[in-house]
Amino acid sequence: MIGDIFFQLSVRSVRLNFLRSILASIGIVIGVVAISTMGMLGTNMQLQVKDQLSSSANTIVITADAIRMGPPGSSPSSSSSSAETGIKKTQLNKIRTTVGTNGTVIPIYSSNTEFTSGNVPARGTIYGMDPSDVTEFLTIGNGTNIGSINEALVGYTLAESLDIKVGDKIKISSASSGPPDGSSSASRASVRIVGIIDTRGTVADSVSTDNGIVVSREWFVAQYGGKDIYDQVNVIVKDTDLIPEIEDAIDASLNTDEKTPSVRISDASSQLDTISSTLETLTTFVLAIGGISLLVAAVSIFNVMMMSVNERVQEIGILLSIGTETAEVRKMFMYEALILGILGAGIG
Amino acid sequence: MTQTPLISLVDVTKTYHLESGDFTALNHVSLDIMENDFVAIMGPSGSGKSTMMNQLGILDVPTTGNLLIEGRDVEQMTNLERTHLRRDTIGYIFQKFYLIPLLSAYENVEYPLILKNKERDKTGRASAMLDAVGIDREKSEHRPNQLSGGQQQRVAIARALVNDPKILLCDEPTGNLDRKTGLQIMEILCKLQKEGKTVILVTHDARVAEYAQRTIRLDDGRIVES
Repeated sequence: MIGDIFFQLSVRSVRLNFLRSILASIGIVIGVVAISTMGMLGTNMQLQVKDQLSSSANTIVITADAIRMGPPGSSPSSSSSSAETGIKKTQLNKIRTTVGTNGTVIPIYSSNTEFTSGNVPARGTIYGMDPSDVTEFLTIGNGTNIGSINEALVGYTLAESLDIKVGDKIKISSASSGPPDGSSSASRASVRIVGIIDTRGTVADSVSTDNGIVVSREWFVAQYGGKDIYDQVNVIVKDTDLIPEIEDAIDASLNTDEKTPSVRISDASSQLDTISSTLETLTTFVLAIGGISLLVAAVSIFNVMMMSVNERVQEIGILLSIGTETAEVRKMFMYEALILGILGAGIG
Repeated sequence: MTQTPLISLVDVTKTYHLESGDFTALNHVSLDIMENDFVAIMGPSGSGKSTMMNQLGILDVPTTGNLLIEGRDVEQMTNLERTHLRRDTIGYIFQKFYLIPLLSAYENVEYPLILKNKERDKTGRASAMLDAVGIDREKSEHRPNQLSGGQQQRVAIARALVNDPKILLCDEPTGNLDRKTGLQIMEILCKLQKEGKTVILVTHDARVAEYAQRTIRLDDGRIVES
């Protein structure tokens, strides 16, 4: 092909119209870069989320099966005491019995709350759990675990944004308090931060501490009520292969009425499926945008080729008149388009 | 025994369909050109000279009537057959030379050989043709725009001759050249005719037409003198 006179003609034509050829190639470069970066972006996002979710892959999350508008504690006025939607003590005991020595059962209270650090108001989720359970799945990067009732841990992101340090005090409103304008500060209880929890990212166990606060169960119940009605129970199993078996056993033990099951049981794999499919849609969408830019690049090559053909009508006439076959002339222009495409795709 | 004409136009009419209406450029023209003829086609602008050249060079087909080359009806041929006939039988020399600007003088001459043999010329024929028309090796490396008009026309002649065609079709071959260079080109054409080529020449210039053995005059799409 290199020795082909038509290829030579194409190369020389590209060189003669160097600027135009380069511009067309840049179009392709942009298209290729766009589609590859967007593709990588999507894939990276998926990988990252899968990676983070797999860190909580050994966790089964059990919540009360009731129709809610969002995740546990998302309603502003929600608290475990105000509704009967929660895992009751009898259910918790059944779970403990079912799990046995195959894992650790962690009952967790949670609520959305308002609080102030210094005079800065903020919102976040507050979790109440046994201090001994904290270290089962959370890592305290700075400071110590909760030792007494008035101590609390704070998530890394929240600590960063509000500049909270170990030893600081923050005021947390109770469920019945008004907006964080200071008018109801009397109802606010304060806790002392003793530790900062390492960043967790996206997790499948519904405990997003990055923007939250962890307090002891006693403090939580004293502030919000709802004793022994947990928002969720996490089971950290020792062997992930046993997850389906344990889930089935809990299901059989608690959901005795098939028509109105009392708890909902989920784990990382089911959440991973949901998130993956969402991310796949997102990736496809992003790739489609990249595809459009590639299409634009293709149109620009088409445009350059049209200009090239139009400019060289006379030359084409000469070529045909001295006995060039139309297929050979076509080949010449194909080579030219190919050179532009390969040049652009190569750089891109 | 009568010889078969090399080219025959049989009652050829060529009509162009224009927005302003139909225009008949050739009107029932019949003409025989024998092998080794030297024919000059003359006539005022718009008389149909170029249309006739296009017909004789198989660059166009008649609206009605027939064009026969060596007794074969061109209309019955496929596009590819016509292309090959142009490549092998006819050499074209144009007033504006029409060399391929992206190729060197040598490559321009080599080009028809590549079309025919589908490979680069290894026989030295392209170089020999350039020598024959007086283009030296150094000049043959130049692109057409680096050559003078006379040199370009010599290259064009070399290109027309390289496939050893029977017919040389020349459209105002001296039109863009000064008188002295024009004479040199005409001498080359005369020599080629003596060597056995059939030369068909379209010209305005009566002095150029004097080289021809036969002059055909066209007016308003008809032959007025043959």
